[in-house]
Amino acid sequence: MQKKAGPLFYVFLFVFVFLVMFPFLWILLSSIKPLSELFGEEAFNWFTSHPTLKSYVSVFVNYPFVKYLWNSTVIATITTVYTVFVAAFAAYAIARLDFKGKSVILGIVLSVSMFPQIATISPIYMFVKKFELTNSYLGLIIPYTTFALPLSIWLLVTFFRKIPFDLEEAAKMDGATPLQTYFKVILPLAVPGIFTTSILVFIAAWNEFLFALTINTAENYKTVPVGIAMFQGQYTIPWGEISAATVIVTIPLVIMVLLFQRRIVSGLTSGSVKE
Amino acid sequence: MKNEKKSERRLAYILVAPSLLLILAVAIWPVIQSFYFSLFDYRLNNPAKSSLHFDYSLNLERYLESYPFLMSTLKQEITQATGDEKEQLTSLQQKLQQVDEEIRADEEVAKRYEQIDEILNNFEVPSEEIKIVSIDEQAAQHLTKTMNETKQTLKTLNENGQLKQGDKLTGLANGLSGAVIEPNFVGLAHYKNYLGDSRLWKALWNTTVFTVISVSIELVLGLAIALLINKAFFGRGLVRATILIPWAIPTAVSALMWKFLYDGQNGIVAKYFADIGIVNNMSELLTTGAGAMFAVIFSDVWKTTPYMALLLLAGLQTIPSSLYEAASIDGATKWQQFVKITLPLLKSSILVALLFRTLDAFRVFDLIFVLTGGGPANSTETISILAYKVMFSQTNFGGGSALAVIVFICVAIISTIYIKFLGADLISDRK
Repeated sequence: MQKKAGPLFYVFLFVFVFLVMFPFLWILLSSIKPLSELFGEEAFNWFTSHPTLKSYVSVFVNYPFVKYLWNSTVIATITTVYTVFVAAFAAYAIARLDFKGKSVILGIVLSVSMFPQIATISPIYMFVKKFELTNSYLGLIIPYTTFALPLSIWLLVTFFRKIPFDLEEAAKMDGATPLQTYFKVILPLAVPGIFTTSILVFIAAWNEFLFALTINTAENYKTVPVGIAMFQGQYTIPWGEISAATVIVTIPLVIMVLLFQRRIVSGLTSGSVKE
Repeated sequence: MKNEKKSERRLAYILVAPSLLLILAVAIWPVIQSFYFSLFDYRLNNPAKSSLHFDYSLNLERYLESYPFLMSTLKQEITQATGDEKEQLTSLQQKLQQVDEEIRADEEVAKRYEQIDEILNNFEVPSEEIKIVSIDEQAAQHLTKTMNETKQTLKTLNENGQLKQGDKLTGLANGLSGAVIEPNFVGLAHYKNYLGDSRLWKALWNTTVFTVISVSIELVLGLAIALLINKAFFGRGLVRATILIPWAIPTAVSALMWKFLYDGQNGIVAKYFADIGIVNNMSELLTTGAGAMFAVIFSDVWKTTPYMALLLLAGLQTIPSSLYEAASIDGATKWQQFVKITLPLLKSSILVALLFRTLDAFRVFDLIFVLTGGGPANSTETISILAYKVMFSQTNFGGGSALAVIVFICVAIISTIYIKFLGADLISDRK
């Protein structure tokens, strides 16, 4: 913080930001090009002289894109709400209560969050097939627990630990039971942490690919990542539509990131930094 | 006071229980099951192998739908046959009868045999559970041998036109031959096969190359960026948001985006790379092995360097600036400050970031699946991609599960090594 930024620094910053954003910029420019300018000589022109929204229209007319968006929203929302709810109790106990086996439990949570998905896919696939949950929302929500729950517990524990312990002592003095302390004292203070956790879990569930690819294969139940990835046909790849769809899913994300960047960064870095 | 402690402990266990049970059910149990599956020749598209059997068993429904009719038809045929054929057919008949008796010698089997026979005589369908009965290995092998012999003999006789009801007989013999279900328990055979298979080693090598190169580049670049932006400047929030976007968009979508940019004919990045001279010509990026590996690593670096930079920046910000002031008063150079202050104090942040990134890179799936599909010629096929292909393209769940277990073991080894370095820092209670 002590150093002052010079003009050279801003040049570097600009180049850096430009390089990071270049792929998006190019996709955005391509999404408004007419089909003929996506190929051949004109493919490398930055700006088209005939901007068109045809690709955007096609995404919604020729593909069940609204359905994909809806599926992803429902699945990611339910996964987030239910795992954060369950995890909040466990995280409270681990962070604030005194009991044996605490570090073992946290160790299990951390190891499970490192499990490669491929190691659980075959039994989970057999399970959802047996109970006829393929092509359903539940068929993805259950497997998503494998990564969403450990992630929620891990993040919430670090947030709960940051709440001053004096408050609990004071509540105890006043004769509150641990559960009362939890609901009346801890939970209100933990709201920002819970919110941050929810954002990160939501993003993780929204972006998940392997389970969605294998379990929900019907057009009507595909999620956004799988839906867009499957735009590519056997022989042709509709780059115009893919560009438009990418822009459509990126814009809400940009807004979300702009709004919540502080929270996201605090969530990403919590647990990795010793304070 | 003691009671209070006890009730607190009880409450803690109650609060933790639902999470633990869920984790056990949806994460730990499947991994154990994966290992179990990997011990079988388990194939979804093959009815005889679509469930797990330790023993030989007999599908009585199938057996009894053919056996009695085969015997009666044989009998008719024998009365009409002469000479050599008659002898052959009589011998077949005797053998079949003998093996039928051998099966029924087992009391349990005999009981079930009667039961199914009765159900079939009433034109009803027996349930899955009762129609499959396990039989001993010797009887099963004997039965299989006899059935094959019957099938072969009848086929030859039929082809020579020596049978009156030839087609019916061969049809019944064919029906009979599917009745024996062999055990598909193969022990560690899948592991043995794959560990001797060059494709697995190639995939492991690709995974290692991808992991080591991309994670090292990400660490160096991430650290450089973190050091550079660790200062007060205008537009900090905007920069932070910018570098979060690649991290936040679905990997599958960003992989597809890069596929467009790398395209051999129309890809702008491919064109720039060719112009600069990184590749000889545009199409090399996705059509040659080295080009594809470079393309995959480049995309991964683009997507996760910002994340690395953020983690390291957070670590940097916890280093008190007084340390640097003291060092510069003592005349330490910037480089000395970096080596003596920054690196040691950043060690645990770096290790944690490396741990998460290494594991993520090692199990890479979406990026490669969408960008190259593991090609060209398996040159970017990682171990997760290979396991997926074996499971879902070849529908070989046993073999695929064995590969998945291998991925799991590698990940476990990597994390153990890191955790050794990190000590118990990661999970310790920081009060």
